[in-house]
Amino acid sequence: MDIARDKWSCYIIIVQTGKIRLFKGHSILKMYKKVALAIAFSPRMEALISESKRLVQLFGSDLILIHIGKKTDELETELDEIIIKTGLDKLKTKLIWKEGKPVKMIIEACKEENADLLVAGALKREGFLTYYMGSVGRKIIRKAPCSVLTLIEPRVGSTIFEKIVINGTQLEITPNVIEVGINFSKKIKAEQVHILNEIKMYGLQMGTASEDSEEEASQTRRQLVQNEMEYVQEIMKNIDAGDLKLNIKVTGGRWAVELARFCEKIEADLLVVGDDHKLNFFDRIFPHDLEDLLSTLPCNLLIVKN
Amino acid sequence: MDTLDHKEVINLLLQLSSILILARVLAELARKFKQPAVIGEIFAGIILGPTILGNFFPGAHEYLFGAHEMTNIAFDGFVQISVVLLLFIAGLEVELHIVWSQGKKALYIAVASMILPIIAGFVVAYAFPEFLGVNINDRIVASTFFGLAISITGLAIVARILMDLNLFKTSSGLLIIAGAMIVDVIGWLIFSVILSLSESGSDGLGVWPTIGLTLLFTLVMLTVGKGLINRVLPWINKKMAWPGGLLSLSLALCFLAASFTEFIGIHAIFGAFIIGVALGDSEYLTEKAKEILHQFINNIFAPIFFVSIGLKVNFITGFDPGIVGVVIIVGLVTKYYGAYFGGRLAGIPRKESIVAGIGMSTRGSMDIVLGLIALETGLVSEPLFIGLVILAIIASMSAGPLLGWARNLKV
Repeated sequence: MDIARDKWSCYIIIVQTGKIRLFKGHSILKMYKKVALAIAFSPRMEALISESKRLVQLFGSDLILIHIGKKTDELETELDEIIIKTGLDKLKTKLIWKEGKPVKMIIEACKEENADLLVAGALKREGFLTYYMGSVGRKIIRKAPCSVLTLIEPRVGSTIFEKIVINGTQLEITPNVIEVGINFSKKIKAEQVHILNEIKMYGLQMGTASEDSEEEASQTRRQLVQNEMEYVQEIMKNIDAGDLKLNIKVTGGRWAVELARFCEKIEADLLVVGDDHKLNFFDRIFPHDLEDLLSTLPCNLLIVKN
Repeated sequence: MDTLDHKEVINLLLQLSSILILARVLAELARKFKQPAVIGEIFAGIILGPTILGNFFPGAHEYLFGAHEMTNIAFDGFVQISVVLLLFIAGLEVELHIVWSQGKKALYIAVASMILPIIAGFVVAYAFPEFLGVNINDRIVASTFFGLAISITGLAIVARILMDLNLFKTSSGLLIIAGAMIVDVIGWLIFSVILSLSESGSDGLGVWPTIGLTLLFTLVMLTVGKGLINRVLPWINKKMAWPGGLLSLSLALCFLAASFTEFIGIHAIFGAFIIGVALGDSEYLTEKAKEILHQFINNIFAPIFFVSIGLKVNFITGFDPGIVGVVIIVGLVTKYYGAYFGGRLAGIPRKESIVAGIGMSTRGSMDIVLGLIALETGLVSEPLFIGLVILAIIASMSAGPLLGWARNLKV
C-alpha cells in the first residue's frame, strides 16, 4: 500500500523522548532526543513538519525523516526545500530512505532509532472497510513499540495544546499515563488538565446496591466516587504538577466513550491514554476501549505505551 | 377476548400482593444476615407454596392459589414475563469490554469452570439417570443439561459479594466478574441448543441447524443489532422522555427479540438475554438507565419469579437427601476445581486461583431459571430440581465467608 494514499496517516513523525524515571519519588522528564518523520509528500506534510519542529524545539530533540519508497533526486530536492522553508536545523535532522511495506519499515525505523514516541497525522473519519481491514496509521499505532502522538489537524503554525484530558481510569498502565500526561502538560504549558475516571460497571454495582436501604445505597454511590478520587490522588502524590490547573472528574460510563464525549464537550486539544495490550481482529468486530477512541478520534491523541 | 371476572381479579391481585409482601419481608431478613435477597425470595415461595402453607393451612393455600384456574393462567403470564426480564438484565450485566479487557485469563477460568462440571455432571447423570431423576427417554440431552445446570455462575450474586468484600475492582474481582459473564453467554448458548433439541426431538431442525441458527442470531445481534441500537438509542435519549422512553422501548425490544427466538425455535429467554447483551454493550445506554432497569426488574419481577418456584414445587415431599447430596458435592467440587485449574493453566498465582474458584462457584440466579425451565420441559424430576435450588442456596450463602477467608490466605 502506498502510504501517500492512506487516509490515516500520510506522515509519521517519530519522537525520541526521554523516559520518565522515578527517582526517590520524584519524576524526571528527560527531553525528547530524536524526532523522525515518515514522509509521503502530500498536502499535509508541511503542517506535520511544522508540528514536529515545535516538538523538537520544545523537547530539545533530533529529527529523523523517513521516506518509505524509492529515493529520487526530485524527492530529495523537494524535501530539502521543505526543510529550509520550515526552518529545521539540518544538523539535528537525519534522513532515512527505506523500501518495503510502510508499516513494517516504519516500525523497524522506530526500533532502530530506539524511539519511544511516534507522532502520526490522522483523519477523523474512516470508511467501514478501512476500519475493519485496518489502515496504515492504525496498524502503526497498534504495533508501535513506543508511544504514539496522533494529530488530527496538524497546522503549519503549530497546534496549541491548551486543554488536556488524561485517562485516569483504573488500569495497570494508568500511573504511567498520568505521569506522562502531567509532564507533557507542564512542558507545553497547558492551561487546563482534566483527569477523567470511570467507575467500572457502575450500573451493575448500583443495581446490586438497590437491595440496600436508601442511605446505604447513597453511601455506596459516594464511596464509588470517592474511591476513584483517592486512586488518582494517590498517584498524584509522586508527581509534581507545578502550576497546572488540575481537575479530577469521575464518570459512570465506559472510559473510552466517556473520554471521547468529554473531549468533544470541552473541545480538548489533547487526550492522553495508555495502551498496554495488542489489539486483534476481534477487537475490531467488538470494538472497545482504545478501538472506540481510534474510531471516533475526538481530538489529538497521545497513546502512552510501557 | 375472555377476561377475568370480579373474583378472579381479586384473586390475582391478592396473589401478587402476598408474593411481593412476603418476598420483601424475607429479603429484608436475608439482608440482615448479609445474604442475597434471592434466598429470602425462595424461602417466601416455600412458605406460600404447598410445602408450608399448603401443608399446614390447606384452605388458605387453596383460596390463594387453587381456587381460580383463570387467575393461575394470568399469574403464569406474569411469571413468564418475569423470566424474560430476568434474562434481559442478566444480558445487560454482561459487559463485553470488561470481558475483552480481562482477555485469556478470564476465558480460561470460565471455560474450565464449565467443562469440568459439564463432563462430571453428564457422566453422573448418564450413569445413574433413574437415581438422579433425569429424563431417561432423553438421556443425552437431560444429562448434558444436568452438567450445564451445575456449571453456571451467579453473576449478580458474586458481584454483590465482591462489592461487600471490597474485591470488586481488584484483579481477582474483575477476573471473576469477566469469567461469570463468559459463563453466562456460553451457558445460555448451550442451554438454548440443548433445549431446542429436546423440545423438537426428531421433528425439529436437528443439531447443526439449531447450533448454526443460535450462533448466527447471537453474532448478528451483537454486530448488526448493536449497530442499529447505537443509531436508535441516541435519538431516543434526545427526543423522548427520559427515562420513560428508554424504559418502555428497551422492554419492547426485549419482548420482540424474545418472541423472535421463540418463533425460530430457540427459547424466548435466549432472545431476551442476547438483546440484553447487545443493549448493555451499547455506549448509548447510560449506566443510570442500567441502574433503573436493575432496580425495576430486581425488585418487582425477580421476586415474582423466585417465589413462583416454591409455589410449583413441594420441598418436603420432593426432597431426596441422596440426590441433594450428589448435586451439592458434584456441583461445588467440580465448579471450584474447574475454575481453580483454569486459573493455574492461565498462569494465575495459586491464591488468586483459589479466590477465582470460590467466586465462580457462587450461584443463585440464572442456574435456578435454567433448572425451572428444564423441570417444566420434563428434562429433570422435581427432586433433582430441588437439589439444584438447594445447591444455589448453599453456594450463594457460603461464597461470602469463603471468599473472605480465601483473600487472607497465605499461600
